[in-house]
Amino acid sequence: MASAYGARVRAVLWIALVAGLVFVGLQFVRPTLTNPPVTAELQAPPEVRAVLRQSCYNCHSNETKLPWFDQVVPAYWLVNKDVKEARAHLNFSEIGKLPAAQQRGALFEAVNMIQMGAMPLPSYLRVHPGAAVSAENLKVLRDYLMPPTPAGATPAADTSAADAQYKGWITASGAPLKVQAEFNGVEFLPDYKNWKAISSTDRPDNHTMREILGNDVAIKAIAEHHINPWPDGTAFAKVAWAQQPDGKGAVQTGAFIQVELMIRDSRKYASTKGWGWGRWRGMDLKPYGKNADFTNECIGCHEPVRQNDYVYTMPLGGQQ
Amino acid sequence: MRVRLMLLAPGVILLCGVVGCTKTNPRVVTTLNTGAMLGSELPSNPLQNRVITSWIDKNAGTMSTLYGNDTAVQYARTGAQSGYPAGSALSVVTWTQQEDPRWFGGNIPAAAKSVEYVTIAPDQHFTYQRYEGSPLKQVDEEAGVAPNERTAYLLAQRAAVMP
Repeated sequence: MASAYGARVRAVLWIALVAGLVFVGLQFVRPTLTNPPVTAELQAPPEVRAVLRQSCYNCHSNETKLPWFDQVVPAYWLVNKDVKEARAHLNFSEIGKLPAAQQRGALFEAVNMIQMGAMPLPSYLRVHPGAAVSAENLKVLRDYLMPPTPAGATPAADTSAADAQYKGWITASGAPLKVQAEFNGVEFLPDYKNWKAISSTDRPDNHTMREILGNDVAIKAIAEHHINPWPDGTAFAKVAWAQQPDGKGAVQTGAFIQVELMIRDSRKYASTKGWGWGRWRGMDLKPYGKNADFTNECIGCHEPVRQNDYVYTMPLGGQQ
Repeated sequence: MRVRLMLLAPGVILLCGVVGCTKTNPRVVTTLNTGAMLGSELPSNPLQNRVITSWIDKNAGTMSTLYGNDTAVQYARTGAQSGYPAGSALSVVTWTQQEDPRWFGGNIPAAAKSVEYVTIAPDQHFTYQRYEGSPLKQVDEEAGVAPNERTAYLLAQRAAVMP
């Protein structure tokens, strides 16, 4: 009995020793993670930067400071990958080189990600609870981007470009354009303009206004409240125009900017979350992007609403 | 006992990490925008027609969409004639706004403030109807051979460009 027990103890000790050696050995498998110089930090008031520093900078800047438990493999591998991805998407140490409007745009997206619970990453927050964005800190960011008291009426816009665009379009009288498919193969659907409206958005953050249209499959799904997941065959179009202020507080639909499509086909588009994604810009409806990789941009931005079948729009009730 | 708790704590954290103990964010719950629904008291549902254009009143905090039937849309998008032909039926819904819970910086429709209807009869008679309140009730109805001021304003809105 005693010798059998001893053998068992020895076996356990050997396993522990080997596991320990493997663990120590793995510590030397360390992809490099350096802090490059801060070349152009975000231009924003100090209180705004303080919030970002506390909650975002550890991954989204060149000032990453890893606590000891993040230095241990395999946690280190995860953090290393996360930081590199985070910096590639948004780096507060280098974003200062972009135009002010683009820096603001990045902050709007950041606030949205925070509000939706997508950032800081939930998995990161469980281990780093100090990075959570408190309600007060969120208010600091929101108030900076959207001051509570809006300024006076926006001066009237120069309408010449929009007028010329309208004239060209109305003269063409609906003659069909030859439109290229997107780089990912998604075809343009010229009938989008005859679909029904399911919502509209006013985007003072980037001075645009949008109508969201849905095809018959989408309208039926809304009427029957089968919208998660949306049925195959659903198609949405989001049409964006510039806001054209009249100088008296009203805003008209200005120049056409783009139309975006989301087309549902769970099999055909299985590799892109069940949706075909596309964006066509300008009056010549030029496909967006340089290659099929643009789809990652679409999916990344729609990630916070993944539980909602990747759809942001809350359709107007009462469709029949 | 303390040792056992210390061993248990990382286990629980790990389990949470795998299973996901976080609550669903209310902003991403699948839902219709029922607050902006139009109700059944109206003579017809404007959403069944096609979009001609839209506008926003920053002072009033409202957003409007102008819809048209086939005759109206055909005219608005091609400008073939010099005015909306007989048989045109237009409607405009004006919603109050709410912050888009899913897109910081955006506003989306909240409760409807008014719904208006304009029709042009074969004898070139114009009718104008206006519904307001909650639930929406008719507050105005006018008809005549010339459009009233509001009707003229609505008919003068050019179509949003949709290539």
